[in-house]
Amino acid sequence: MRTNSWTLSALLAIGLAACSGESSGENATLSTAANGTPSIKVWWFQWDPATGLQELGREFQAETGIAVEVQQIPLASYQEKVFLEFGGSRTNFDIVIGDSQWIGRGASGGLYVELTDWLPTVVDLATIHPRAAKYLCEYPEGSGRWYAAPCETDAVGLAYRKDWFEDPKEREAFKARYGRELAVPATYEEFRQVAEFFQRPDEKRYGCAMPSDRNYDGLTMGVQNLLWAFGGKWKDEGSNKVVGHLDTQGTADAIEFFKTLMKLGPKGCERLDYGQVLESFTNGSTAMILNYFAFFPGIQAQFGDKVGFAVVPSHEGRRVASLGGQGMSISAKIPKEQQELAKRFIAWFLKREVQERWITKPAGFTANAEILSSPAFRSKTPYNAPFADSVDAMRDFWNVPVFNKLLAATQRYVGMAVDGEMPTQEALQKLAAEKERILKEAGLL
Amino acid sequence: MTSTAQRTRPLAWALVGPTLALLVAFNVFPLVYNIASSFTNAELIGGEWRSVGGANYARVFEDELFAGALRRTALFVLCAVTLELLLGFALALSLQRGVPGKQAVLTVLLVPMMLSPAVMGLYWNLVLNGNYGVVNQALSGLGFDPPQWLTDRDLKFWSILLIDVWMWTPFMMLIALAGLNAIPASIYEAAQIDRARPWKVFTRITLPMCAPVLGLAVLFRATDALKQFDLVMAVTGPNDAATQTLSTLLYQVVFRDGSVGLGAAFSCVILVLVIALATVFTRYIDRLQSKDVLA
Repeated sequence: MRTNSWTLSALLAIGLAACSGESSGENATLSTAANGTPSIKVWWFQWDPATGLQELGREFQAETGIAVEVQQIPLASYQEKVFLEFGGSRTNFDIVIGDSQWIGRGASGGLYVELTDWLPTVVDLATIHPRAAKYLCEYPEGSGRWYAAPCETDAVGLAYRKDWFEDPKEREAFKARYGRELAVPATYEEFRQVAEFFQRPDEKRYGCAMPSDRNYDGLTMGVQNLLWAFGGKWKDEGSNKVVGHLDTQGTADAIEFFKTLMKLGPKGCERLDYGQVLESFTNGSTAMILNYFAFFPGIQAQFGDKVGFAVVPSHEGRRVASLGGQGMSISAKIPKEQQELAKRFIAWFLKREVQERWITKPAGFTANAEILSSPAFRSKTPYNAPFADSVDAMRDFWNVPVFNKLLAATQRYVGMAVDGEMPTQEALQKLAAEKERILKEAGLL
Repeated sequence: MTSTAQRTRPLAWALVGPTLALLVAFNVFPLVYNIASSFTNAELIGGEWRSVGGANYARVFEDELFAGALRRTALFVLCAVTLELLLGFALALSLQRGVPGKQAVLTVLLVPMMLSPAVMGLYWNLVLNGNYGVVNQALSGLGFDPPQWLTDRDLKFWSILLIDVWMWTPFMMLIALAGLNAIPASIYEAAQIDRARPWKVFTRITLPMCAPVLGLAVLFRATDALKQFDLVMAVTGPNDAATQTLSTLLYQVVFRDGSVGLGAAFSCVILVLVIALATVFTRYIDRLQSKDVLA
């Protein structure tokens, strides 16, 4: 029996040691590429800008001899993969291009290296657009404490079928039906009217599509454009109070309006992820989409001058675009020497001349305010000017450390409201109460 | 005898040891670790763990999400297993009576069961797609207004159920066929001599003699359906209120929300439910096996 106890104890001890997750320190070596040169590994999700960044990485290697490998992870599992990496003693990446909402979790959990003292030594912070700085780089917002450098700046915009809008027959029919000219919608009411006009399922032609997926954050990003425009809020401006701020008439009106738009799209449009929204447009069936600007260069390349781009519509003078985009953060779970290599790459990337090259890459959008406001940038493509204007109007969802719980609750309750499984006001009240519970548990309220 | 036992003890340990080690490492230790975690505020990343007593269990029983997922899972298990059992048994009876090209039919019927549920989920995502899926294309072609199988809140749960039935009916059929083939032909011959009517033969011979093996099949499928994860993940994702099952809720809580302590409590409650269900089933099967079905 004694032997049995010892055996079991030893096995449990081995198991516990294996699960303790303590660093042995043996991993604290510089990463090298296959040919022995120092290397940096960057993680980003799978999309065009990541390919563009890899191209820039090759230029960086040619200049410095430091190899850069951008690993692209499918978006649906990106968040889990990154944070599971952070759960270990050393991450497999040196730089993570994390969603804007992650910054609170990364900063307060000791996962991201703080860049506050270092960043001003390599870039003039005044050149970074204040909204990009606030939402992509700083935590808490506007605190002046930097945990990321801006990488991809993005916002939701409007893409529309210019050829349909300019078709004389369509224009005539629209005017006859609505008594006004068919034009790019400036308000959500106009947007709905145009969508209704083009909604012709028998001809396989649909009015509009926007993110509404329930898997990660699609529905939230789709709804919040309307939420802010209709006077709704996620929370109180000066605090984290939610009850009485989220469950308001403005938020309910936004969701009710969103529900009406869900009837003016392709079949199944109440569950479209970003890629499916894009596909509904590129397959030639949908008149207008609201989606991130990063997808628009591909549309432009496919359709040429048959498409046009604009800022998102407004409501009663309020126009707000959901922020997209990501900042570059350095993992705190890599050796110091490796962190220095990562800093060298970030410093190089933020140089004005590199940013000038970045905007030439597929969907490479900069946060450099000087470039954004330059006439050369605004006139270079049909989507650059509305993009630059959208950056001035972009806002983000929660970015506190428990954003993931807040996001999951939002997706669930707003989803139930949109699907009609729960009355909108009831869903908002439950969501507000759930969010306050999460925030209180996290010590944020 | 004693000296022999003492002599062979090292050999016995050498033989049993590796299995025991694996059992402790992969079953006992995770179970103990999970139970311990369920009384803490453990998060997926960072943070000091501290005891929260039974707070996580209180949350589990108060949480509407858990109640909803439990109801949905129970409905899923009940409907899926019943349909699979009925269809599988009917198919087995048809095949046993002989159909032309029986082997080919059997092979074709077994294909869905042999494919990965994740692959099947993606495949059915395409088949049932509202716009370009073949089902809706066919329905449109026939002049029907096709439903939105995967997005309609009233349909998506049943679509997942349909996929599960399509996948696992062959499993029930296979087990039922084995049970049918194990019934001695002499019993049927005796019934024939007694001029028993087909319905009597079915209810007094076929069904009772197949019952233990069908019970086992139901047990396997019920415990498997209780864990339904792959299809839901592939079709609607883990956070869809209309299709969230216990397993996907658990995934959401642990991997998306990062609440390891709460997730551990969820999983302990699920484990108790599974054990209770399995116990009921095994006792039922034991009773069936101990009966003299021909009495």
